[in-house]
Amino acid sequence: MVSPISSIAVLLGSAFLVGLFKKTSYSFAQMLSLLAIAFPLFVSAQWLIHFIGTSDGAVMLYTAGAKPPFSVSLQIGMAEAFLTLAVNLLGLLSIIYLMKPFKELGVKALALLLILVMGLNVIILSRDIFNIFVFLEIASIALVGLILLGKRKHTYSAGFKYLIAVAIISSFLLVGIAFVYYFGSTLNIDDFVAQNLIVTKGLSTALFLLFIAVLLELKPFPANGWALDLYEAAHPGVGALISGGTATASLYVLYKILPMGADYWSDVLIWVGLISFLGSNILGISQKNANRLLGYSSIGQIGLLVAVIGFSDQLGSHFEAIFFSLFISHFLAKVGLFWLSGWVGKTELTAWSILRTKPWLLLVFGIFLFTLIGFPPFPSFFGKWQLIVDLASEHGFNWIVIILAGSLFEGIYLFRWLGYAIKGEKSTENKPLLDWQTALPIGLFALLIIGAGYVSNQWMPNGQSINLIPVFFILALFVLDFLPAWIKNTISIAGLVVYGYLLYPELSDDTLRLVFAVIFLGGGILTLIAGYSVKGKRAGFFPFALMMFAGLIGLVEADNLLQFFFAWELMTLGSYVLIIRGKRSMLHAYNYMLFSLGGAYLIFMGMAMATAGQSGISLEILRTTAFPGWTYALMAIGFLTKTAALGFHIWLPGAHAEAESDVSPMVSGILLKGGVFGLIVLFLAMGGEQAQANPLVYVLGWLGAITALIGNLIAVFQEDAKKLLAYSSIGNLGYVLFALAFMSNIGWMTAITYSLNHFLFKTLLFLAIGGVVLRVKTHNMHEMGGLIKQMPLSFIAVLIGIITLAGIPPLSGYAGKWLFYNAVIAQGWYFQGAIVFFAGTIAFLYCFKLIYAVFLGQPKDKFRQVKEAPVWYIIPQIILIIGIMVFSARPDLILKPVGELLSGSAYFPTDPLNWESVTASTNLGYWSGYKIMLVIGVMFMVLLGWLLLMSRKAQKIKQFDIVYAGETPFTPGTTHFSHNMFAPLYRAIGFLTLPMITQSWNRVNSTVHDFADSARKIYSGNGQSYLVQILAYVVIVYLILF
Amino acid sequence: MDIVKKIGFVLLGLFIVLNWGLLMAGIMRKIIARVSMRRGIKIFQPYINLIKNYSIRSQLTHGIMFYLGPVFRLSGGVGIFLFMPMIYGSDIWNNFSFTGDLILIAYFMFFGMLGMALGAGEGGHPYSAIGISRGLAQFTAIELPLTLAILSIAIQYQSLSITEIVAAQQGSILNWTLFTNPLATGAAMISFLGAMGHSPFNVVMAPQENPVGPPTEYHGTFLGVLQTNRAILHVVEAVLYMNLFFGGANNWIELIVKTFFIYFWSVFVGMVFPRFRVDQSIPWLLKLPVLIGVAAIIVFIV
Repeated sequence: MVSPISSIAVLLGSAFLVGLFKKTSYSFAQMLSLLAIAFPLFVSAQWLIHFIGTSDGAVMLYTAGAKPPFSVSLQIGMAEAFLTLAVNLLGLLSIIYLMKPFKELGVKALALLLILVMGLNVIILSRDIFNIFVFLEIASIALVGLILLGKRKHTYSAGFKYLIAVAIISSFLLVGIAFVYYFGSTLNIDDFVAQNLIVTKGLSTALFLLFIAVLLELKPFPANGWALDLYEAAHPGVGALISGGTATASLYVLYKILPMGADYWSDVLIWVGLISFLGSNILGISQKNANRLLGYSSIGQIGLLVAVIGFSDQLGSHFEAIFFSLFISHFLAKVGLFWLSGWVGKTELTAWSILRTKPWLLLVFGIFLFTLIGFPPFPSFFGKWQLIVDLASEHGFNWIVIILAGSLFEGIYLFRWLGYAIKGEKSTENKPLLDWQTALPIGLFALLIIGAGYVSNQWMPNGQSINLIPVFFILALFVLDFLPAWIKNTISIAGLVVYGYLLYPELSDDTLRLVFAVIFLGGGILTLIAGYSVKGKRAGFFPFALMMFAGLIGLVEADNLLQFFFAWELMTLGSYVLIIRGKRSMLHAYNYMLFSLGGAYLIFMGMAMATAGQSGISLEILRTTAFPGWTYALMAIGFLTKTAALGFHIWLPGAHAEAESDVSPMVSGILLKGGVFGLIVLFLAMGGEQAQANPLVYVLGWLGAITALIGNLIAVFQEDAKKLLAYSSIGNLGYVLFALAFMSNIGWMTAITYSLNHFLFKTLLFLAIGGVVLRVKTHNMHEMGGLIKQMPLSFIAVLIGIITLAGIPPLSGYAGKWLFYNAVIAQGWYFQGAIVFFAGTIAFLYCFKLIYAVFLGQPKDKFRQVKEAPVWYIIPQIILIIGIMVFSARPDLILKPVGELLSGSAYFPTDPLNWESVTASTNLGYWSGYKIMLVIGVMFMVLLGWLLLMSRKAQKIKQFDIVYAGETPFTPGTTHFSHNMFAPLYRAIGFLTLPMITQSWNRVNSTVHDFADSARKIYSGNGQSYLVQILAYVVIVYLILF
Repeated sequence: MDIVKKIGFVLLGLFIVLNWGLLMAGIMRKIIARVSMRRGIKIFQPYINLIKNYSIRSQLTHGIMFYLGPVFRLSGGVGIFLFMPMIYGSDIWNNFSFTGDLILIAYFMFFGMLGMALGAGEGGHPYSAIGISRGLAQFTAIELPLTLAILSIAIQYQSLSITEIVAAQQGSILNWTLFTNPLATGAAMISFLGAMGHSPFNVVMAPQENPVGPPTEYHGTFLGVLQTNRAILHVVEAVLYMNLFFGGANNWIELIVKTFFIYFWSVFVGMVFPRFRVDQSIPWLLKLPVLIGVAAIIVFIV
């Protein structure tokens, strides 16, 4: 194998050689540089393959024919091979990416880049601290050169500040090294460690200087103003080199010297890293300059990596996998983002909407951002998961809180940015050209992320338990995205059908899971059918729709916590993208994501606490958690963000209402059940009936009841049909939460009946109203009216839907109401129960408003020509109506097995419900869905027949053949009574619907932003104050330590 | 054969209820007139109206839902009758009450209201919608005390079966819910005032507006159907209260006497008190009656 020393020689030699070329032979110089970097890249790859293939340890290389302390030694092992590979690849792609700007600057830029890469290689390989220092200096000087070659506004001042900072850091480093040599008589790291010196006061000061200097190289918050200015002012290509290259090398130096220090240095790294992660991400949230934002994010991520190095003892054998996945995520995504920023050309975040001109770049941008936050299937997801689980096993809960809080703050600014890119106002300027020099590196890094995701998944303990087949299917859909929508739609539906077929045997005797599987897969198929009405390609829709469904079904299949959380996050990712596709969805999707993210981290925290002190990560361990109070409360709140319980509901109305017509039923009728299923898993873990006395459950019961009331009440006052349905979902999910909180057999029967009903009628209603909206192009009900004549089928669907929603016999909604009464009385939750029933009567009001204002009353002139909704919308509606009818007539087909499952389990042995063929009874009352259906059906037909007989000659009259207020109306607009329909009710109890919760969240939001805005004023831009900050940082850390 | 016999008796019961409903409406209107120092209509005027309406030959319709509205409405009234046990201890007069309990009746009341609201809605007359929106809004508040009362008696009797509730009140007048659970009865009887459409809760029936009751847009046979329903509904609702709070009935005479006084309660209050606006009636209903209802539950918890 080729020695890495030759790599260094080649890089150094060609750097000198390149400098000799003139402008005329630039392309030759360029070719030479490419080859010069390709060589070490090859060498690193060769070594990496060697180490992966064998179990060989690291190899020590000696220079100048002597061993230390007489010469410098280099070491190459798996880590060095991998890191040099990363750095060399970055160098190679940087040359390609920077081809045009470098051409203007000439050969000196190429030489500087080669020197930089060489420096980084040596820093990674070398085992000699002075050698490391020298090459840190070399790399810094090369970097300054590259920075100063840029032509941005503040480039020179930023470069100068960088020089000052580097100078002072170097001074610390050099003095530190000198004293370390004084105490240890060696500069070789391994020799120093082998001596096992007793740490005297002098030595600890020497080591302090060494460590603090390396830490300062990593730009820890808050002593990093110079670095932020640098990121902002440098060319994005250079920013990529700083963030991906020098930071990588410095991180590795930190890792190498860690054994030299006393034990407490691990703790120092942890705290410095975590403070940096949290602080930098908080300050980033009010940042509007893309490059500077990337700077904040880089500093934050590097902080996390520093902390992970500090945790290396606790993480033990998992350290490498965790560090790899977090590092590779930061490295690939951050560099990729810097490169993208170069293509966008503008620094304002809002300018990134230009990415929409190149959809694949938008996709890549999304991949980078989701990687940074840690969504599956990207590597950081697995890294963060294992990191937090391992920290939990050490009871490091404070650390977990900081990591998750920092990630949440990072999400705040990254998702705002993503929102601007996907939905921000379109830039009117000419779009920049995308040449291969830009496209190649960016595309390659995006692909590498996916590969790294696979590696992380396989490497991580338990990672292999995750079923990757759906993920591959989704990837295939991305590849097939060029096909017309109907083909992709068929593939997607076929995928769901086949998956359901394969899954069925596994679930056939677990009726509870089966019901949810039917909701997720069956609902997916039905709502996808509506998608046939969309013409064209519908780029990017199907992979994300399938991602959501894969996540949902993954929840049902999950056996362990990792599978569950993986599925949960996959579902969130897919649904976020689906939601943001709506025309005015930018803000709503953002809200959805933030609540989902916060909720997911609470769930994550709860799960992590459950794993503490237990072996394995099976779902079963939730039951035996050592911290039941915390685990259950955190997870419950997390799930409530998804079911939109009052307080966590503010994202829902906009997200559901503004989504595309066929997406609304997906995210409302189906997605919300994901949260319900989460609650079911949680409540089962809490022990079913035995948890009835748990105060958490009692509180959740009240929360459910109040959610039901307020959700329904707000729905009554909506003018937007889809918002009305959205608020109605909040109310309905309140019922479900309430019923689940009973923690009794019949309570759960109620909850499952409600979930199934809500799926059936809400999907039906959203499809029907979605079809109407497609035709009339407005959501406002008062603009519609009289559409029954044009859209009779949609009218029937809405009629069936609202009868089911309102719980009117004979349809299945009544099943829920009856079970509910029995459950409430059995449990003794009378007052909560009364509130829920009151909510039920209020639901009747919006049901009427929905059907009346849209379909009845006065038809408007502009909608006289509209047609019935597309047939692809009608087909799933018919299937859903059949479903409702079957469930109404024979509820026993589903409820009986569910009841048997519940009462057969250890969780709910007390079964108060008896079935005698089609009649259900409790010791309170009885109900026979089938007979009720029969009686009402026969009676209705008889009475209809009678009326037909009596008034068979009834004459059809025209719209304006009515009289009121002494005249015949002729303006439908002023005759259709539907705006502010329930004004008297509003005057009476409308105060309950004031947006107090939204206001409080807004206050939280503005407080955080104001804080971030004022806190970042410490970065004044003044080099002298930065200097003071660095010194103060050193002094403060010193004072804390000693 | 059994089913034929059953249906025969059900139809006979329905006939009795319809006649009693029409007669009672006549009597009440007569009483109202006399109290207001008027001579008033003939007792049999509701019969005359009904026959006249069914005989009118010209009929107009605004469309299918307009047409179906009265069918829904009458189905609502007849349905409640079908699900209601009329005479205690009688197998023939308990109709189809074996299919569902008190909750079924409570929720089936919405069936007719919804159909009617939609039918009137298709007429396109703005006053229909105004009346309906007011009526529904007020109805939500009317239902709450009733719900609390139902919960209270369900706790009291540990049953939701109307037959069992009536059975528990047999033996002595003091066993009536009226005496054993006066709070629930009080809450429910206030709710009853709202359900009957008399003052103070009848602004939704204001003359110019088409409410949940027979609207001006409906005429001829349609109006006849609605009037039929009204006659039936008033009786069966009174029967419901009779069963829940006043010991049920052991024979038709008892039923007629009791329902008369129950219905008269709403007429009596209506004659004494002026009417509320809807935004006044809702807060009123949500205060005292709800408090009584809550108290009716608290006495059983404590």
